[in-house]
Amino acid sequence: MIIEIGHFAVIVALVLSVLGIVASVMGLRTRDGDWIRMGRIAITLIFGLLALGMASLVYAFLTRDFSVYYVATTSNSTLPLFYTIAAVWGGHEGSLLLWVFLLSAFSTLAVWLHWRTQPAIMPYLIGVECLIMLGFLCLIVFLSSPFERLIPAPPDGKDLNPLLQDPAMVMHPPMLYMGYVGFSIPFSFAMAALLSGRLGEEWIKVTQRWTVFAWLCLTTGILLGGYWAYYELGWGGYWGWDPVENASFMPWLVGTAFLHSVMVQEKRKMFKVWNLFLIILTFSLSLIGTFLVRSGILTSVHTFATDPGRGLYILLFVATVIGIAFGALMLRANQLKSPIVLDSMISREAIFLFNNLFFLVAAATVFLGTLYPLMIETWYGAKVTVGPPYYNAVFMPIALGLIFLMGVGPYIPWRKASMASLKKSFLVPGLAGIVTVLVLVILGIRSIYALTGAFVVGFSAAAIFLDFGKVSALYARREHLTYLKGFLKAFASNPRRYSGLVTHLGVLVLVIGIIASTIYQTEKVVSLRVGDEFYLDKYRVKLVDIHEVEGHNWVAKEGVFHVFLGNERIAELRPQKRVYTASQTPTTESAIYAINMGHIFLTMPEVSPDGVAVARGVINPLILWVWGGGGIMGLGVLLNIFRPRKHEEG
Amino acid sequence: MRILMFIVFVSLVAAGPTGATVVDETAIDVQTREIAKTLRCTVCQTENLWESGAPLAHQMREVIRERLRQGQTPEEIRAYFLSRYGEYILMEPPKRGINWFIWIGPFLLLSLGGYLLYRELRRWVTPPPSEEGHPPPLDEASQKRIEQELRSRV
Amino acid sequence: MSRSTQVIITGILLALLVLFYQGLWGDPKHIPTVLIGTSAPEFQGPDVESGELISLSQFHGKVIVLNFWASWCQECKTEHENLLRLHARFRNHPDFVMLGVNYQDEPEAARTYLRLYGSSFRHVRDIKGTVAIDYGVYGVPETFVIDREGIIRYKWVGPLVGEIFTHFTQQVLLPLLNSRQSTPT
Repeated sequence: MIIEIGHFAVIVALVLSVLGIVASVMGLRTRDGDWIRMGRIAITLIFGLLALGMASLVYAFLTRDFSVYYVATTSNSTLPLFYTIAAVWGGHEGSLLLWVFLLSAFSTLAVWLHWRTQPAIMPYLIGVECLIMLGFLCLIVFLSSPFERLIPAPPDGKDLNPLLQDPAMVMHPPMLYMGYVGFSIPFSFAMAALLSGRLGEEWIKVTQRWTVFAWLCLTTGILLGGYWAYYELGWGGYWGWDPVENASFMPWLVGTAFLHSVMVQEKRKMFKVWNLFLIILTFSLSLIGTFLVRSGILTSVHTFATDPGRGLYILLFVATVIGIAFGALMLRANQLKSPIVLDSMISREAIFLFNNLFFLVAAATVFLGTLYPLMIETWYGAKVTVGPPYYNAVFMPIALGLIFLMGVGPYIPWRKASMASLKKSFLVPGLAGIVTVLVLVILGIRSIYALTGAFVVGFSAAAIFLDFGKVSALYARREHLTYLKGFLKAFASNPRRYSGLVTHLGVLVLVIGIIASTIYQTEKVVSLRVGDEFYLDKYRVKLVDIHEVEGHNWVAKEGVFHVFLGNERIAELRPQKRVYTASQTPTTESAIYAINMGHIFLTMPEVSPDGVAVARGVINPLILWVWGGGGIMGLGVLLNIFRPRKHEEG
Repeated sequence: MRILMFIVFVSLVAAGPTGATVVDETAIDVQTREIAKTLRCTVCQTENLWESGAPLAHQMREVIRERLRQGQTPEEIRAYFLSRYGEYILMEPPKRGINWFIWIGPFLLLSLGGYLLYRELRRWVTPPPSEEGHPPPLDEASQKRIEQELRSRV
Repeated sequence: MSRSTQVIITGILLALLVLFYQGLWGDPKHIPTVLIGTSAPEFQGPDVESGELISLSQFHGKVIVLNFWASWCQECKTEHENLLRLHARFRNHPDFVMLGVNYQDEPEAARTYLRLYGSSFRHVRDIKGTVAIDYGVYGVPETFVIDREGIIRYKWVGPLVGEIFTHFTQQVLLPLLNSRQSTPT
């Protein structure tokens, strides 16, 4: 019964989204505030109704109502409570509902938040958001309803894919979707600006926090995905350049370009069309990503029959939204030409444009790599694979270029930089980069990738620290404070700049982690019996015991390994070979010991009946810097979002 | 590659510090891994043969191992898989023919974009001949009208 | 925005639309094989039922239908009936041979499967999966047709059902069987 209420609520929400569009159009035509108020009511009700829909689905999962088809296919009575809730978005139908629910929550929040200050934007915001919601609600109601009944109900459900039974995977989809959906708010504002022709810097200033917040969610979602792959998939890597991962990475790259480029418009009132283009592209890539993942167009090979009807619908809808957006941009673009006058080729404005170029080329690379197999298949009838070696060769150099620009950019002044000031700013960072390379060469590192990366990272890090040091000293001297207080004062003087630099610092830490853990990974696979041992770099790993263990919904063979450094035992690791009882799916659970900011990563992929185990040991140096860097990036963004609202918006 | 074959790298079976048996990888194990990492697990999603847990990937690894034992070189083994599965089995598209498109496409794009950007920047830096206060550039419609007017006067 | 920029953006968007549209109808299972036109790799393996060694070369000079299957494979069950029908139809043809290759399977499970669904032709066990890899097999079921000269002439990935089955019998198999020694060697 409850599930029917949820189903009904979602259908009503669909009707209300049509009403929202009508109200927005009528509001624009008649300039009647009542229509727009009606739109606000509609959008708020949609949020309430979708919350009800989500709640009813959660309820069905919690009460193990296997007469609901979706519940029966994605959960099982033995599934722990925590993962039962995650199972709500563990499949196609539920994740779509979550998507549109988050969209309704964000748009409701945006409408109420900006109602007073942005009355002119409201009808557009309501209209665009309702249009997107309508598209997704139609998909849910007509083509992928999570509310379908399965009569007669099976005694028990299949299970949630064991690989998805992981804490990081619980949070990964919501974060990712919040990122995608979050970009819809600046997108709507941009559309409003385009359609109304009021193209000041207003929409950018108002949506700045939305943009940053969406970016934070997307970043977190991507990192959580990497974290999950690392712990759960058991091969010791965190990024596989899989089409699904790439689908989330493309909007991230363009979104990051947008995040930077808007600053030029705020400061110098230039690049108006360009910024509109970037936000439209970002949101379009979110939609295209959703299409690629949800239509199954790229996941080929082992799925036999994908239903093209569903994919076709998403394609038509996504094409409509993207077509309208780009169409409006192209029709209006010529009216918005802002005079662009640069004072110098070497200026912050120019660097931002190069930053944008690199980000867009990076995104285009991922886009090409992801779609190339599809192109070759449809247009040439052949099959190819575009895997990590391609991206390592093509994407990485572009990424290094970006990181170099990241080090240079913040120290080139707006308008015009003189050669003398450039020399002053970049002498120390340049030396720091060279010293870093020399130290690494002396330490025996020869990889050209690592050394180039080291130079770029050393350069950028030195520039940032130099900056922090200088302003802290300045404030400390001027106001007779301690150095730390001076630092805080400096930070408070320009929180946007310095929170940005904190994020940049996080990127550097992340990059060091990525370079070290990819290039200097040590790996060994051996077959051994209880009592045998093997050397993994300088560590001695001994298999002490293999026994059976039983979990809530799985049974496993667990290997007990002791890790020695010299004669001292430093860790006991227990990797498992699990079999989940409901689906009889085997998984390999890794065991990890953190040491020197890196990991000793152990899995036991096979145990033969006669007691021979295959052990796979991996040393991932500095892997903790990957997650740590992500954390610092997040901190920087939070500092940006929660900075005091001084004389910025007014 | 040949050199590797000569290295006597037989499975070390020696007494460790605790008197336990120390096991290690053989040269063939290492080579198997190197080759497996360049080939795709054909039933997986962009996973290589080495990382995949699929039964087919396991059997393919065994095939690699067996062929190494028979003295085949990594190139011969890769060529064998290529002859059975086509280019699909390689983790990256081979650099030939139409595939050059994605290998150099991004760099061409970067150079082209860089050049166009540089050209635009130069144009923006050189201020237009008009004096104080640059009037906004004309939109296309007005531009055409002016041109027409001018022509009609000639 | 200049006219050329507009044209480029529109062009890219339209190209993408066409690509995605065509991609949706493409069968992701369709994998062109490089083996067509090459000589069929020789193999040897025990008969699933009797354990007696069977090799491909003992059928040289005949048209061979080679079907890879496994007892755990759901799709195989959907085509099994058709395979039996196919064999029943051509079994009296002097040049026709049908051979199953049991892939990644437990022998006991395979025998149970055959007893349950019936079998009229012989099946070879592919113990280490080497036969399958030699034939570039992705996943079961897959079906090959080898001509009298031992050349692979056709491959189908997925179950032989519906239109595909008709096409397979009428357009692929019959012409091969009828072209009695069309290329004298």
